[in-house]
Amino acid sequence: MKICPYCAHANREGELFCEECGHPFVNQQGVATTQLVGEDRAVYEQRMAWGTARFDSQSSILIRIQNQADPIKLAPKDELMLGRADVRSEWMPDLDMSSFGGAELGVSRRHAAIRRGENTLMLVDLGSANGTHLNGQRLTPDQPRVLRDGDEIRMGKLVFHIYFK
Amino acid sequence: MDASRNLYAIFGIPPDATQEDIREAYRVAARRFHPDANPNEGADVQFRDIASAYEVLGNPLLRAEYDAARRRYQNEPNYFSLRVTPSKRVLSVLDEPQVIYLLAEITPMRQSAQDRKQDARLNLTLVLDRSTSMKGDRLDKVKIAAQQIIDQLTTDDILSLVSFSDRADVLIPAARVTDKTSMRAMVNMMRADGGTEIFHGLLAGVKECERYLGSQLVNHVILLTDGRTFGDEEKCLELAEQAADKGIAISAMGIGDEWNDVFLDALASTTGGSSSFINSPAAVVRFLNDRVRSLGAAFAERLHMSVAPDSDVNLESVFKLMPTPQPVDIRPQPIPIGALEYNRPLSVLVQLQMPPSSKPGFRTFVRLDVTGDVLAADRQKYKVLSDISIEIAQNPAPEEPPLAILDALGKLTLYRMQQKAEDSVTRGNVIEATRRLENLATRLLAVGQEDLAQMAMVEARRVSKTSALSEEGRKTLKFGTRMLLALPQPGEESR
Repeated sequence: MKICPYCAHANREGELFCEECGHPFVNQQGVATTQLVGEDRAVYEQRMAWGTARFDSQSSILIRIQNQADPIKLAPKDELMLGRADVRSEWMPDLDMSSFGGAELGVSRRHAAIRRGENTLMLVDLGSANGTHLNGQRLTPDQPRVLRDGDEIRMGKLVFHIYFK
Repeated sequence: MDASRNLYAIFGIPPDATQEDIREAYRVAARRFHPDANPNEGADVQFRDIASAYEVLGNPLLRAEYDAARRRYQNEPNYFSLRVTPSKRVLSVLDEPQVIYLLAEITPMRQSAQDRKQDARLNLTLVLDRSTSMKGDRLDKVKIAAQQIIDQLTTDDILSLVSFSDRADVLIPAARVTDKTSMRAMVNMMRADGGTEIFHGLLAGVKECERYLGSQLVNHVILLTDGRTFGDEEKCLELAEQAADKGIAISAMGIGDEWNDVFLDALASTTGGSSSFINSPAAVVRFLNDRVRSLGAAFAERLHMSVAPDSDVNLESVFKLMPTPQPVDIRPQPIPIGALEYNRPLSVLVQLQMPPSSKPGFRTFVRLDVTGDVLAADRQKYKVLSDISIEIAQNPAPEEPPLAILDALGKLTLYRMQQKAEDSVTRGNVIEATRRLENLATRLLAVGQEDLAQMAMVEARRVSKTSALSEEGRKTLKFGTRMLLALPQPGEESR
C-alpha cells in the first residue's frame, strides 16, 4: 500500500501517481538519484522522513512557533480555529497569534483551521489574505490537507511546527 | 491453411522443433490460456490461435504442407515491430496486489516505411450534420472544410458525402475524386433544417463506404455533429460494430456543447477511430483537415491488439496515447486500435494488476499481440507477438520508472481525475466533486496548464454552488486533459 503524503489516499503498490489527487510518487525528472552512504544517508533519511499522519483519540496537539521558547499545547476538537483575535467583532480563535506578532506577520483573523478527520488531522486555509503554506506548499483555500507529525505550517510570514503527542 | 501466419512464433519455438517439442509447447501454452483455466477475455483469443496452430503443427502431414507453403514468406520483411516497456523490471515479494503498467509501442520498420511512395489511398465518407442548430457559421465552416478536403484528395481516392438531419441525403455517392468542381458544388447544396438523428446518416454513410471497401484502402467514416441523437444510440453502436467487422473505422467529432461525448467516444473506440471536441466553428476546418491528413499518413490499417494476461493477473485498462489519445474498451478482444502512421509510432498504455506474490522468481505474466493490414504491401493480418516477463525478488533495489511511462501516466492521471470528478457529480457527492476538481486544478497548475486549471477552478465553484458542471466546462476539461497526452514528451523533438 502506498499512502499519498498529500491527501492520505491509499493507493496500490506500483502506482506512480496518487489516483485521488494526482500527486507524483517519484521525482518527475526521472534523474537517477545519487546513492548516499553512511552518515549522510542517516541525516538525509531523518530529514526526509514523513511523520505519522495518525492522530487518534488520545493524542493532543503541540505547536512550536518559530523563535518562541515554549510550545503551546492544544486539545483537539472538531475544528480548531487559527487566526487573530478581534475585539470589535468579539472574535476569538482557538489559537490567537496576536501575541506572537500575528498582525505584523500577515495573519488573518480567520486564517486557517485544523479539522479532525477519521484518525487524522486536516489543515485547511479559510481564504486568508496571505495564504497558508504546508511544508512550503501553498494551500488552495477550503481544500483540506492531511497533517503529519512534525509538519511545518506557515501563515503569512509566521512559521510554526505541529507535533502529535 | 494460412501460411502467412508464423505458427511457430505462437509457441515460441524454432521451425526445426521436433514433434515432441511442439506437443510440449502446446501443453504449456494451453495450460496458460485455456478458457477453463484463464477467465481473461484476451486469453480466449490466444487460446483459439494456439488450438488452430496446433491442429496444423501437431499433425506431421499438415505441418510439412504448411512448411512448404511458408517458404514463400521466408523473406518477408518485418513490417512493424512491437516493443513493450514495463513500469518496473523487478517486483517485490508482497502479500498485496500490485499495479504494473506496460507501454506498448508499435513502430513501422524503417525499411518498409521508406518504400512508401505516396499517401495511403482513402475511401473516405463524410457524414455531416445539417440540423437547424448547424445554421450559420457552423455549417459555413463545415462546407469550407469539406471543400478543402475535396481539394486535398487525388483521383486515387474515393469520396462520398452524406448530410443528415432527421433524414439522410447522399449528396456525393462514393466515387473516385475526378470531378472536383461538381463535388464542391454538391457541398454547397447543404441547407440547415430539421432535427438530429444520427442513425440514418451513419447508416447511409457506412453503406457508401462499403461500396469501395478495399484491403489496400483506408476505409473511414468521419461523423460530424452538434447535437444529441434521440433514441437511436444503441442502433448506432450496433452499426459501428458491424462496420468495424467489415474494416471500416469511424471518427466522431462534436461541435459546440450539446452532443453526447460518451456516445461519440463509444462509436470511435468500437471501430478504432478517434473522437474529438471542436469548441468553436472556426476550428472545424483545421480539425477536419488534420484528421484527413493523418488518415493519408496510414502505413498499416485496422490494427487490433489482444492482451492476454495469465489467469491470476487482471487487465484493468488500456489507453491509446499516440497518434491520437483515445480511451479504448478492453472488451471485446481483440481491441481495435486504429491505424499505424508511417512516420510515428502508435503507443498504448496497458494497466494490469498483479496478484500478491509470495516467492521470488521469474515469471511470464502477459502476452500481447498486434495484427494489422500493411497497406502498400497488401499484406493482411500481419502479426507481431510479445510475451512479457518480470522478475520477483525480496527487497529489490529501487528503480526509476521509465520516463516515457512516467510522462504518459502523469498526463493520463489528469484525464482520469477529471473523469472521477465527473463521476462524483453524477453521484451527487458535491463535496467530493469539488475536492477532486480542486485537486485537478492544483495538478494542472503544477504542469503549467493555466487555462485548464482556471477552468477546473471555475467548475469547482460552480459545482459547490449548483451541484452541476457546465457542459462546456466539462467537455473542455475532458478533451483538454485528453489532448495533453498528444503533447510531445520532454526531451523529445517536436514533429
